[in-house]
Amino acid sequence: MGKFARLGFWLSGLIVLAVIALGCIAPLVPYEPADAVSYDDALVSPSLAHLMGTDEQGRDIAIRLVKGTEAFFLPGLMAAAISIVLGGLTGALTGYATGFFRTAVLGALQLLDTLPRLVFIILVCTIRDPSVMLIAFVAGILFIPTVATVIRRKVESLASEDYILAHIAHGFSPVRVLLHHILWLQCWPILVRQAAFVFGYVLFVETGLSYLGDYGVQEPTPSWGNMVAQVRSLPSDAPWPWLIPAAAIVLTISGFLAFGNLAARRGEEAVR
Amino acid sequence: MSEPMLTVRDLVIEFDTQAGRRRVVDGVSFSVQPGEVLGILGESGSGKTLSTLAVLGLIPGRPGVVSGEIELTLDGVRHKLLETLPAVVTRSAQGEYRKDDRRWGRMVNRQMRPLWGRAMTAVFQNPKQSLDPLMTIGAQLDESVRLAHPELARPDVRARSLDWLSRVKLHNPPRVHASYAHELSGGMCQRAMIAIALAREPRLLVADEPTTGLDTTVRQEIVELFHELLAAERRAMMYISHDIREVLFLAREVIVMRAGKIVEVATADDLRTGTGVRHPYTRTLLQAADLPVGEAA
Amino acid sequence: MNRLLALVLVAGRRLAGGLLLLVGATFLIYFTIRSAPGDAIDAITPMGTPPEVKEKLAADFGLDQEPLAGYVTWLGRSAHGDFGESLVTVTGEEVMTAALPAFRNTLLLSFAALLVCQVLATLLALVLGEPSSRQQVLTGALYFFTAAPSFVAAIFFSQALNAGIRHFVDTNGYEPPDWYPIPIDAKSIMQYVFAGLMLIAGDGLFMDMFNTVRAEISAVRNAQFIAAIRAKGASTAPHTLRNLVVPFISAFAARLPLVLGSVVIVEYFFTLDGAGYLLLEASKQRDFPIVVGLSVLFTLSIIVMNLVADVVRAAIDPREVARNG
Ligand SMILES: Nc1ncnc2c1ncn2[C@@H]1O[C@H](COP(=O)(O)OP(=O)(O)OP(=O)(O)O)[C@@H](O)[C@H]1O
Ligand SMILES: [Mg+2]
Repeated sequence: MGKFARLGFWLSGLIVLAVIALGCIAPLVPYEPADAVSYDDALVSPSLAHLMGTDEQGRDIAIRLVKGTEAFFLPGLMAAAISIVLGGLTGALTGYATGFFRTAVLGALQLLDTLPRLVFIILVCTIRDPSVMLIAFVAGILFIPTVATVIRRKVESLASEDYILAHIAHGFSPVRVLLHHILWLQCWPILVRQAAFVFGYVLFVETGLSYLGDYGVQEPTPSWGNMVAQVRSLPSDAPWPWLIPAAAIVLTISGFLAFGNLAARRGEEAVR
Repeated sequence: MSEPMLTVRDLVIEFDTQAGRRRVVDGVSFSVQPGEVLGILGESGSGKTLSTLAVLGLIPGRPGVVSGEIELTLDGVRHKLLETLPAVVTRSAQGEYRKDDRRWGRMVNRQMRPLWGRAMTAVFQNPKQSLDPLMTIGAQLDESVRLAHPELARPDVRARSLDWLSRVKLHNPPRVHASYAHELSGGMCQRAMIAIALAREPRLLVADEPTTGLDTTVRQEIVELFHELLAAERRAMMYISHDIREVLFLAREVIVMRAGKIVEVATADDLRTGTGVRHPYTRTLLQAADLPVGEAA
Repeated sequence: MNRLLALVLVAGRRLAGGLLLLVGATFLIYFTIRSAPGDAIDAITPMGTPPEVKEKLAADFGLDQEPLAGYVTWLGRSAHGDFGESLVTVTGEEVMTAALPAFRNTLLLSFAALLVCQVLATLLALVLGEPSSRQQVLTGALYFFTAAPSFVAAIFFSQALNAGIRHFVDTNGYEPPDWYPIPIDAKSIMQYVFAGLMLIAGDGLFMDMFNTVRAEISAVRNAQFIAAIRAKGASTAPHTLRNLVVPFISAFAARLPLVLGSVVIVEYFFTLDGAGYLLLEASKQRDFPIVVGLSVLFTLSIIVMNLVADVVRAAIDPREVARNG
């Protein structure tokens, strides 16, 4: 790993840590969106009193930014957990199993994989009460095939390796070898990469839909997406109410993706 | 002894790896006489392949060849293959080389294009991976024949290809002609590769462990094949192998490499009797093959 | 001849697989509808839908039947292209009459964007060559910025454009609206161009494509058989190109689903006349025959793309036929 990649790893790691910290703190911050409105303080530029300024309704942007993490943090974690746990298990199973079972599971995975993700999410939102949790749940399910495929490839290539065969020959149970030696010890870099990716995807969908304004988080509850949506009515000399959350979105998504990739690269170098 | 057709002097090859700069060929010099076989022995990773690839101008990775001289004499014309190298290599105060690889790549291509195939070609280490997976063996063999004989008409090209396939003792040449690499066994691919290389009619052939991974009987056949085909047409060859018996059978002169350096230069006759063998590694090789080992120097 | 037969067999098998996938996917879509909470028909129609419309809808979608029987009814109608009638968005019109032209626009936009993306990624890969530490500043920055969601990229883009207009163009006191890139006709080709650019520049598509394309080019260039071809003095270009066709088509096909998702949001942003816009509008107004019809179209296009990619792969790469034969 080069110098630049190491720098990227630490920087993106910092972003990830910051987002996780914010996500954990946010629920503890008392915030009543309705009370925060104060038209006297509308569009105050960033200052000591309001670190990031205020929006058109005089609401402090810094607090809304922190509270906005609630919109995607838990859903993102849930989607990542669903996809890597179920994807990891099905991937490991299909990598190991043979015959009809394998064919059936692979077919089911391929089926899930042909569904256009965002379109399907919108379909579900049309039919059921839309919430970010629901969106994240569907996204998590829809990402199972992606995770399962990379895990399956890895398991297939590992299953024939001597040391794995040796473990089994030494009397470890195949299930233990599969779960511990293959999935846990060998595949964690892949799982980290995929988890970061799914988390980023949920953030993307949540902010996108909240920006468009119908399925994501609705005003006055803050979300980075509906904060950015204020761009439609803001005067051009007061860009901070949309610029700050937009920058936060870019930083977070890029940060998570970069961290996933770089951490996985480090891991793969270490595993080998 | 006549003038050598190939002379390599002080060849140095370095690579950038994750652990930093590594010198993998360190000041290698050897020469090949016209129409004769130079055997190259050495343990895995000693730089045999890279030394020959340098002659072919096909070093992968960077920086690759950083210094040395390679002279190829062909029909009385002398080609200095590394003549342009100093123009792209700079050397820092600490003795580390830096090389403009893109420029070097262009220079090599320009210089080697007329030499590749006509002057020399190669049979590489992994026969299966040396064949284009998307083309039939026949198409690739035809390509060689056409390059060697542009004047031939289509049916003649095919006839000659089939002839080559039978000369490398492949059964059922028409079937092999229409096959893809993945449809053939390793040994069949190796023979096809040899046919493709020889059909190009080069003056110098590089054969890089052409028998590795084949079973013993097939090995024997391939070695004998080389012997026949080369003797008939008086082509020169650099023959790389781990197997000292094969090398002794084919070569007149032998070099032994270890860790990027040549540790032993001897004639095959001397090796056979063990006279003048100095390096312990060579002695191990001889012992392993149940050949007499001369007195340690 | 033998090969042709094998190819036809592979194509047939893939077609059958594709049909099976289509049946499976429509099954999932249908059961998502059936899973609606409470009385399905109330859950999926807009408020105040007249009872006779509801009844017709229930009959169209087989909601008045057992789930499986309903699915078969619905699938039978859908197979004839009959997805019912739009409820609100384009009231009373056949779903496919409204959806097909819009979907054609969307496919055109997505394919064009993906193709341009692949060409640009290839050019960049050719210019940069093998990865080196010096390029990492450039690729790292590109990586970072193209990972932004396409709608955020579009906002930045249109804001910058507007700022430019305000700065350089005397608007005679007329202030262009801030949220709109350029005050031009919404049907203008420029809207599509901008939308395409945002598809390329956002959602991590470009660098993802770049990494894949560069790795594939490098793999073929450094393949041993290319060295062997070079060593025998033949031109490597035909061999290289031929060996790149399959990975390039795979890279293209693999990214279509991603683009078909991004395009929904981008079309809505630029208010384009396309399936993505129609989908969101219809969904917002709970015009669910349109939503379902479009979902099937999106799914179908992904299945067809994969099918085409598979058949091309089999046609070019003999190993593929062997693997499946
Ligand atoms: N592109 C490259 N980058 C870095 N190191 C390389 C590269 N190519 C070869 N090497 C290293 O150079 C050394 C010599 O390689 P070479 O292929 O010449 O060995 P060899 O003698 O042919 O071995 P074998 O008998 O296994 O074929 C090896 O240690 C190898 O790891
Ligand atoms: Mg070698």
